[in-house]
Amino acid sequence: MLNLLTPTVSMQPLIAVSSSAAELVQKIPFLSFITNSAVVALVVLGLIFWFSSKATRNMTLVPHKAQNFFEFIVEFLYGQVEGIIGAKQTKLAFPLLGTLFIYILVANWFGLLPGVGTIGWGPGTGVMSISEAHNPLLRPPTADLNATLGLAVSAFIVWFYLTIKELGVWGFIVHTFGPKGGLKGAMGFIVALVFLFVGVIEIVSILFRPVTLSIRLFGNIFAGENVLHAMGGLGGDSILLQTALQLPFYFMELLVGLLQAIVFTLLCSVYIQLSTTHDDHGDEHGAH
Amino acid sequence: MTSAPPIIIAASAVDAFVEQFGLAWGKFLAQVIIFLIVYTVLKKYAFGPILGMLEQRRQRIADGESKLEKIAKDLADAEKNAQALIDKANSEADRLVKDAGESAKSLAERKSQEAVHEAAQIMARAREAAQLEHEQLLSQLKREFGRMVSDATSRVTGKVLNADDQNRINQEAAAQVSL
Repeated sequence: MLNLLTPTVSMQPLIAVSSSAAELVQKIPFLSFITNSAVVALVVLGLIFWFSSKATRNMTLVPHKAQNFFEFIVEFLYGQVEGIIGAKQTKLAFPLLGTLFIYILVANWFGLLPGVGTIGWGPGTGVMSISEAHNPLLRPPTADLNATLGLAVSAFIVWFYLTIKELGVWGFIVHTFGPKGGLKGAMGFIVALVFLFVGVIEIVSILFRPVTLSIRLFGNIFAGENVLHAMGGLGGDSILLQTALQLPFYFMELLVGLLQAIVFTLLCSVYIQLSTTHDDHGDEHGAH
Repeated sequence: MTSAPPIIIAASAVDAFVEQFGLAWGKFLAQVIIFLIVYTVLKKYAFGPILGMLEQRRQRIADGESKLEKIAKDLADAEKNAQALIDKANSEADRLVKDAGESAKSLAERKSQEAVHEAAQIMARAREAAQLEHEQLLSQLKREFGRMVSDATSRVTGKVLNADDQNRINQEAAAQVSL
């Protein structure tokens, strides 16, 4: 039953935002992947495709408005990424990092549109009215752990590809486990053991990166949804009070949406930079 | 009472986590595929053309800058050449003015000298003419004086003087006059 979540629906704070994406086609198990977040992901895909095609159609040296805006975003992102991972890696990694930023940003902000997360199915309280949208029709992909994990795993695969391409398999092993400092003898042996242990920790850390990246993004956006629902619920029957309570948090969520897109992208950039940097100083000392 | 091994506890915790957050391979792959489509679309239809355009614009600006530098250099060279030409023309003009001045001065001096010389010649010729006239007059005077002396002598003496006497008296008279 669809619900416009009118103020008359509930007097209780609406904090029961589901932590998982709702399956829209529940009767056919094969189509269980069609979730409310997948629908929004497709809408986001459409929006990005529409705007990018609009921005890049009839491009000229003196840009039109859409082209100018898109150029600003791309140039800004490219400069930021280049500043972290260098010109060489940026050429390879920028398409992924730029896509991550734009996709996450659009998805985060899409979740703030009225109706997203509030129109859906739930316990009915009247005609076209429910107390809570347990299964909302629309849900931002970044509030679905499947999507954030997908983004993080994609970034991880690209990270791994760039690292092996830059260092090679042996180079990666040396980079991770190899002793640094160029010490010899018994002290060198001890340091090598320490670095071996540090390398094991590093590998664990690397393997956990997709988990931390995805849960960080999911947690922030999911928490934002909950906060907005809770603030709306505190308003009771008054639309004005609901709006007044939610409004500051809408601005905060706008900022959070942008920050999380930046954080996700920059962390991926930093991971690439850390693993593709050659240990020049260590080599020099070792050669001596 | 025996407790479950840690690995089983961890596995059940993971199961609970997966259950709570609705993790499923199908949903996960659907999201990955959608993201990969976004990636492909942006890479092919947005980042490529935009970065190409930015590079083209950067190249254009760099070309413009280099052309501007070349134009500025050419302008400086042209100004330098123009200044050199002006300096050369000025020095040439100074030299011409100086030459003209010297030439005029020389001409004036030459003309002056010619005038002086001409005046001297005129003076000399006038002096000669006056001298000649003076001599002629003197000669005529002498002759007249001789004739008058002869005439007076002949009247005083009552003697008719012959030609020799007259010549002698004339010469003596002329000699007396020239003294």
